[in-house]
Amino acid sequence: MSVLPLTVAALVAGGTYLLLQAGLVRIIFGITLLSHGANLMLLAAGVSAWRTEPLGAEGSSRSADPLPMAFVLTAIVITLAVTVLMLALARIGGDDDTYQMPDTGEDHHG
Amino acid sequence: MTVLLLLVALAAVPVLVVPTTLALGRRTGWVLAAAFLGMAAALVPAGRDVLRGEEVTWSRPWVPQLDVDLALRLDGLGLVFVMIALVIGAAVLAYSAAYLSPGRQLGFYLWMTVFALGMVGLVLADDLVLLFLCWEITSLASFLLIARSGSGGEAASTRTLIITFVGGLTLLVAVVLMIVATGTTSLSEALASPVWQDNGALTTTVALLVAVSGFTKAAQFPFHPWLPDAMAAATPVSAYLHAAAVVKAGIYLMLRFSEAFSSVPAWNALLIATGLFTAAMAALFALGQTDLKRLMAYSTVSQLGLITAAIGVGTPKALTAAVLHTIAHALFKSGLFMMVGIVDHQTGTRDVRRLPPLWRVMPWSFATVIAGAAAMAGLPPLLGFVSKEMVLGSMLDAPGPAWTGPVAFVAAAAGAVLTFAYCAKIVLGAFVDGERELEDCSVPEVREAGPALLVPAMLPIWAGLPLALAVWVLDPPVDRAVSAISDGGGYALHLWHGITPELLATAVVVLGGTLVVSRRRWLRPRLERDLLPRSGVQLISQAVHGATRGGSWLARLVAADHPGRHVTPILAVLTLLLGVGTLAVTLGTDVPAAQPDLGRPIDAALLLLVALGVVGVCLAQSRIAATVYLGGVGIAVTVQLFALGAPDVGLTQLMVEVLTVTVIMLVLRGLPSGFGHRRHSRRPGPVVLALLLGAAAGGATWLLTGRREQSDPARYFIDEGTEVTGGDNLVNVILVEFRALDTLGELAVLGLAGVAIVGVLATVPDRRSEDGAAPAELRPHPDAAPHDPQAARALADPASNLRAMQLLLRLLTPGLVLLSVLIFWRGHNEPGGGFIAALVASAAVALVYLARPEDRPVARPGLHLGLIAGGVLTAIGTGLIGYAHSSFLEPLHGYVGGVHLSTSMLFDVGVYAAVLGLVMVAFDRLGAAAVEHRTTGPDSPAPPPAEHASAQEERA
Repeated sequence: MSVLPLTVAALVAGGTYLLLQAGLVRIIFGITLLSHGANLMLLAAGVSAWRTEPLGAEGSSRSADPLPMAFVLTAIVITLAVTVLMLALARIGGDDDTYQMPDTGEDHHG
Repeated sequence: MTVLLLLVALAAVPVLVVPTTLALGRRTGWVLAAAFLGMAAALVPAGRDVLRGEEVTWSRPWVPQLDVDLALRLDGLGLVFVMIALVIGAAVLAYSAAYLSPGRQLGFYLWMTVFALGMVGLVLADDLVLLFLCWEITSLASFLLIARSGSGGEAASTRTLIITFVGGLTLLVAVVLMIVATGTTSLSEALASPVWQDNGALTTTVALLVAVSGFTKAAQFPFHPWLPDAMAAATPVSAYLHAAAVVKAGIYLMLRFSEAFSSVPAWNALLIATGLFTAAMAALFALGQTDLKRLMAYSTVSQLGLITAAIGVGTPKALTAAVLHTIAHALFKSGLFMMVGIVDHQTGTRDVRRLPPLWRVMPWSFATVIAGAAAMAGLPPLLGFVSKEMVLGSMLDAPGPAWTGPVAFVAAAAGAVLTFAYCAKIVLGAFVDGERELEDCSVPEVREAGPALLVPAMLPIWAGLPLALAVWVLDPPVDRAVSAISDGGGYALHLWHGITPELLATAVVVLGGTLVVSRRRWLRPRLERDLLPRSGVQLISQAVHGATRGGSWLARLVAADHPGRHVTPILAVLTLLLGVGTLAVTLGTDVPAAQPDLGRPIDAALLLLVALGVVGVCLAQSRIAATVYLGGVGIAVTVQLFALGAPDVGLTQLMVEVLTVTVIMLVLRGLPSGFGHRRHSRRPGPVVLALLLGAAAGGATWLLTGRREQSDPARYFIDEGTEVTGGDNLVNVILVEFRALDTLGELAVLGLAGVAIVGVLATVPDRRSEDGAAPAELRPHPDAAPHDPQAARALADPASNLRAMQLLLRLLTPGLVLLSVLIFWRGHNEPGGGFIAALVASAAVALVYLARPEDRPVARPGLHLGLIAGGVLTAIGTGLIGYAHSSFLEPLHGYVGGVHLSTSMLFDVGVYAAVLGLVMVAFDRLGAAAVEHRTTGPDSPAPPPAEHASAQEERA
């Protein structure tokens, strides 16, 4: 019996809660937690019973599945890009409240 | 093959324009004119074959799955239009070399040549999809040529684009209907299909759609306003596009499709009625213009109306007239446009009310304009006379009830009276009637233009004289063009037909026109005003405005700035999907047993840490506290990744965690310290949804994972991966070899994120730099300084505070750089690779930034974007190398000096550069850029002494 599903549950629940908050920084934190949860879920799909690092020619029946790992690695870097971009957006204006947009001098409803 | 070579040569021209304009400036026009003439000459042998009745074709499968071919075909009709595009193009480009203001003029020559490519491609296309694409290229190039003509051109170009795109859409629908109905994308096969005889309703629909497309390009009512509007473009653009090419694309389309539709009553009626109405209406408007160029535009609309009507009549004789008039019009109208440009160029105006009598000082121009105007008015002995006689005569053959022929004839003749009048107005208004003195012009001395301007403008106009006297030389091409689209032909062209109704009509036209001209002093004030309460241009603007308002009204129904509004439905659906799915599988099926030994003790410890951290992030009221909790969760997850046997993922996560937290701290400096109590933060909804989705995700993970043997892909990678790639680190070889396309896409995302950050922050005014002072929340906390003397000292003198950090940096940086290279190198066989190596180097960048006593960019401006672009291009370039072997991104392996090398390492270099670029963007734009303005301002403080030290470190 693994506790990995519980870790996923905690991360997803916390991430969802933060994603629904008003401030952009909390939303970003929520996305970070959600992506942690999703990454662990992906790795769990590779079956956590086999945990030997998938290195070298001595591939064995105990080796972990490298394919989900490649997916997760890609996902982590994409998360970095998304997070940095959203942080840049949070920096615009004096506050990160997503209910009241900062005045950019443009008319959005023209 | 010839047709392919022609297209390839035309496609090469825009590429070569870039260096040529750099070397020759506006004189590039001479080179291009020579190139166009050379291509026209090279086409002569193929043209001879076509005139003998052969067809020059070339075809290659393009999208074999959809049966779309790159099919080209040169027949009689195509030959006429290709020659018009090339020869008139050459004349206009030669003219441009003298007409344009000195300078590089890259945009002009680039889009002119791209346009020529699209135009010739349209005419040669023998595939419906290719035809549509080339049609759109001509639309876009025409839009860009109008748009680049300054502030007046922008709105006009947009209106032009809207109208021509309407035509593009109708053509697209027509093309799709034709492909579906005939089952082929080949243009010639589709047009010859028996479907058009069998299915009347479909034929009528497609015919009307094609007619509307033709109308938009050929500026027929009600789509005509774009052409006068497009006069904002430079005169050479008008001389080429608006006399000889883009408008003739519409004529070509209608001619080409008349093969299938010339006996469809709706086609005949629509084309004849619209054409004749447009001809008369535009001629009346032309008479009311004072701007000679707008007058030319309306006269073009009018002339195109006549051609459209002749195509609508559809008999071989009428089609002969249409083709001949197309040739004649291309010659005299492009020449006249260039002559108007010369008048404008030499006097500084082209408004008849401001022009002096020019005929004395510009005799050559005067004579040429007379010849051009006479050709347009249809006077002998010019080519315009021959073609206009034929068009008038063909009206008598109009299909339908007996009265249509005579009515059409009279309507065309009435339009011709007005045509005669406005042609006279061109000559008299520009050269004879002017009331101003020569000395009043804005140019110091009005004189005749030089030969460089005059000759290219005179040639097309004067060519009409010998061509009319020896009109039989046009017999073979016109005959071939007509027999390509109808089953007739063989109408010999003559200057003198004997006494015919159309000759009598011409006499009446000349009489009536002369009468109008003699009363011009009375007529002019009555015509030179707005004849209608609203112009077409205003109507288009109003329609666009209305559509925009309607769109934003629709958007407001669903728009909400707050992202929670948008993600809630998505999260709810996800919860239902996962929750209901998990329950259904658990209750409804026989779930296989889980693998034994799924868990490890460390997982439980990490669960505890993660859970505590998550609760901390959610409940923290201070942003910094939440960040600390978030970092804690990240570290726990990292350890979990290592514990799952994923060292590459773990290393990546660790580095990403460090950088994310650093960037968060940079951003938090500009935000309030606490999250604050917001009106929406205490609702139960998010909590409930969060708990449900968490439970569903956990349940799904428990149910759907860990219940199978090792998968086939896993076995393949573990057993064969090393052998196939020569790399031991399976995760890395999957990333850069097996699934390199994914990684390439990821690079693009990274790069775009960097570009987006630069773009977004550049468009938003930085409030911190406006008054030169940081806003309240950015200044040191008021409580901090007085109570804590150490903190106060550190804030007052950041340079000495950072001594230790700088020492650390000096010691660490070489190590980090070395480590980064090492990790990169070993990535193929051991944990490491481009991602992790770049993230280690990014940590060095972060250290450089943090050790600075003041906010300064860590990189030269442009370096980060250069890294991103270089990285993506390197990755794509490596992918292209793969073609040498078999396919895109296929890695090539080899041993150099006993060391295994693979092109995938080059790909990894691209990964490295792009990641590093993104992180540099983050530091420079989020950290330093805000204060950049302030330190470079007039009252900027002297740079602290530590700057030299950090500058040296940067070099190290």
